[in-house]
Amino acid sequence: MKEKNVILSLLNLTKSFDSQEVLKEVSFDVREGDVIAVLGSSGAGKTTLLRCINNLITPDGGDVFFKGERVQRTKHSIRAFRSKVGFVFQRFNLISHLRIIDNVALPLVKVGRVKWTDARKVAADHLKRVGLADKLMSYPSQLSGGQQQRVGIARALVMDPDIVLLDEPTSALDPSLVGEVMRVIRRLSSEGRTMIIVTHEIEFAKHIANRVVFLNDGEVFADCSPNEFFESVSGEIAEFLTDLSAIV
Amino acid sequence: MSRAMSKITLGIMVAGLLWFSYSSVSAVYPFNWSSLTKYYKLFLEGILTTFQLSVIALALAVIVGILVALARDSKVNLLRDAGTLYVWFFRNMPLLVVILLVYYGFGSAVNVDRFWAGVISLSLFEGAYVGEIFRAGIDAVPSGEKEAGEAMGLYRSQIMFSIVFPQAFRISIPPLIGQLVTLIKDSSLVSVIALGDLTMRARQVGTQTLAVFEAYIVLAGCYLVMTSLVSLVGRVLERRLAIP
Repeated sequence: MKEKNVILSLLNLTKSFDSQEVLKEVSFDVREGDVIAVLGSSGAGKTTLLRCINNLITPDGGDVFFKGERVQRTKHSIRAFRSKVGFVFQRFNLISHLRIIDNVALPLVKVGRVKWTDARKVAADHLKRVGLADKLMSYPSQLSGGQQQRVGIARALVMDPDIVLLDEPTSALDPSLVGEVMRVIRRLSSEGRTMIIVTHEIEFAKHIANRVVFLNDGEVFADCSPNEFFESVSGEIAEFLTDLSAIV
Repeated sequence: MSRAMSKITLGIMVAGLLWFSYSSVSAVYPFNWSSLTKYYKLFLEGILTTFQLSVIALALAVIVGILVALARDSKVNLLRDAGTLYVWFFRNMPLLVVILLVYYGFGSAVNVDRFWAGVISLSLFEGAYVGEIFRAGIDAVPSGEKEAGEAMGLYRSQIMFSIVFPQAFRISIPPLIGQLVTLIKDSSLVSVIALGDLTMRARQVGTQTLAVFEAYIVLAGCYLVMTSLVSLVGRVLERRLAIP
């Protein structure tokens, strides 16, 4: 297999809250087209890791390299980096006073300096692709959780990012709504989108991801293919998988 | 009992009570309504002045309020403390004293027109309350939405103008209307500096005609109508601007 370009590297990211070390020198590379499932029991630092990548949480130490360049912690550098990184939130975080179409158009207008009329056309196109062509004029509160999350995904894609970070995209959803969101994410992976998904859904890791990063106690405990991961005999991983299947 | 029925019953009871009080008072106090009629212009003037005073003071109070709210939410300690100090001062100071300070205090140093003394006092005073309303509105915007703005790559000012303020404003409308009603009522205090507002005019009419009770009944009625209209408009506005 041909080696793809590294587009994102994390180098020794550390973060503590009070005296609690949540991330302990986390490092790994993300190559173009990678779909990385970040697994780990709760409190392992998964969400903190994802937020440290785009500086929603400022890491205490370590660096993020984007396409070979270090992301400086300045307003402009962070902003430029964020505009190339889509972020999907667990609780959708749509802007409640804006219609769906404007929610998706907003980054284009405010960051991409595109006119509203043009931005809305692009937004409509993205919403069509996640199956929401008939909801353009609705407000977020008028949609189901699954629909809101699909808007969230469309919003993350509208700037045509180089990488999409998804923070437990299905865990705030009704079980019956998980499928529709998963299908959208599966489609993204088949289109070759680079993604990092923090998740509790083992299905993501098994069928969509090409890599699993297993965090244990703030450290990368395993970084391997899903097959290797699920056949692993390591005590921690086995324990994690048993706990997970016990819930299901 | 249905809602309409209970309202009608209450109306009849209140009307009855009023009629009873009126007729018992008129046994000892000869009501003389006709003497008021030729002074209706004074009342209209008073209403106009009170209205102008309230609207201008509200507009300025909103500006003061925005500044206070921004200062109180600022990252700069000095601004935050200054905002707190401002709110502390005006919330612990009777409006009447503020009016006296502005008109007779500053007025003795620089020449201040009565009307503008009233406007300045009211807007400084109500601005503290409006600031608190706005601050509550800003704080009520879900932090996840601000975070979404950050993740998109918006600047702080863009997050404020595109995400926070439009929602904070909508959230603030009901308490803001309440504050306008308060402002209209509070504006009656400017009559102490002989500014010809509604209250001042009613007092004039009362002393000139000697129909004091009648004049004050009309005065009370005027305030009730004005404040109720404002509340009504506010409710319509609130419904119009509501986020579904």
